[in-house]
Amino acid sequence: MREREPAFDRLCRSRELLHADCAGALPLARLAAEARMSPWHFVRRFEALFGSTPHQYRIRTRIERARELLAQGTHSVTEVCFEVGFSSLGSFSDLFTRRVGSTPSAYRRAARVQVSMPGTLPLRMFPGCLSLMALLPADAWRNFREAPRAPGG
Amino acid sequence: MRIKLTSLMVDDQDKALAFYTDVLGFRKKHEIPAGGYRWITVVAPDGPGDVELSLEPNANPAAKTFQQAMFAQKIPLAAFEVDDIESEYQRLKARGVVFTTPPTPMGPVTLAVFSDTCGNLIQIYQPQR
Repeated sequence: MREREPAFDRLCRSRELLHADCAGALPLARLAAEARMSPWHFVRRFEALFGSTPHQYRIRTRIERARELLAQGTHSVTEVCFEVGFSSLGSFSDLFTRRVGSTPSAYRRAARVQVSMPGTLPLRMFPGCLSLMALLPADAWRNFREAPRAPGG
Repeated sequence: MRIKLTSLMVDDQDKALAFYTDVLGFRKKHEIPAGGYRWITVVAPDGPGDVELSLEPNANPAAKTFQQAMFAQKIPLAAFEVDDIESEYQRLKARGVVFTTPPTPMGPVTLAVFSDTCGNLIQIYQPQR
């Protein structure tokens, strides 16, 4: 009864597939077929719903996975690169640095000095909702209060 | 105590800022580097100027899991009141916004639900007068 499954559910399932297999190379045609759409429609509908194309989503998931592995400190940069699905250390490093703002090795080093519970990721590098507030400069709130009210506010 | 801030996790802060300002019409209030991410808040176009919505990175893996599961179950993670839901719906559709629920009367409100392209379903609602 897969044909009856609404497009929204099929697209969500494709996203889960991409997420689970970000290191693999599930071709677009296969993903589209799983979603019962033509590749052209699949890409457009995926992007409309999730804000990025399947390819962009895969790349972003790889970088996120790389951040987690590097922060855990158990893999070398090279191991992480291939673990998340990149085939070239150079392009992985470039992409990571551009997206994250530091090289994979600097990121890995920064994680080592964070205090965290074993088996968890350092909260400072992987903030949850609202805990990001605590990473603002110490005088941020004082400045907010002194800022003029927005017009109409 | 006062409610001055509410927050949404987003899977891409750049995209989120663009969507909430360019498409939804919110105004950026703060954008400050914070621990490798950014503290970004926006203010709603028709609401008070000092109630902020923060667009936070969903960096925590548990947050990602939660967000994706809620999305797949079609559960919105925020709701905003509008004065005219039908015209808001038409305006957003013309901008390419994907609705999972068109304007539908439900109890005391008429509501609609759309994707914010950053991992969340958002509900807009117009109370019945």
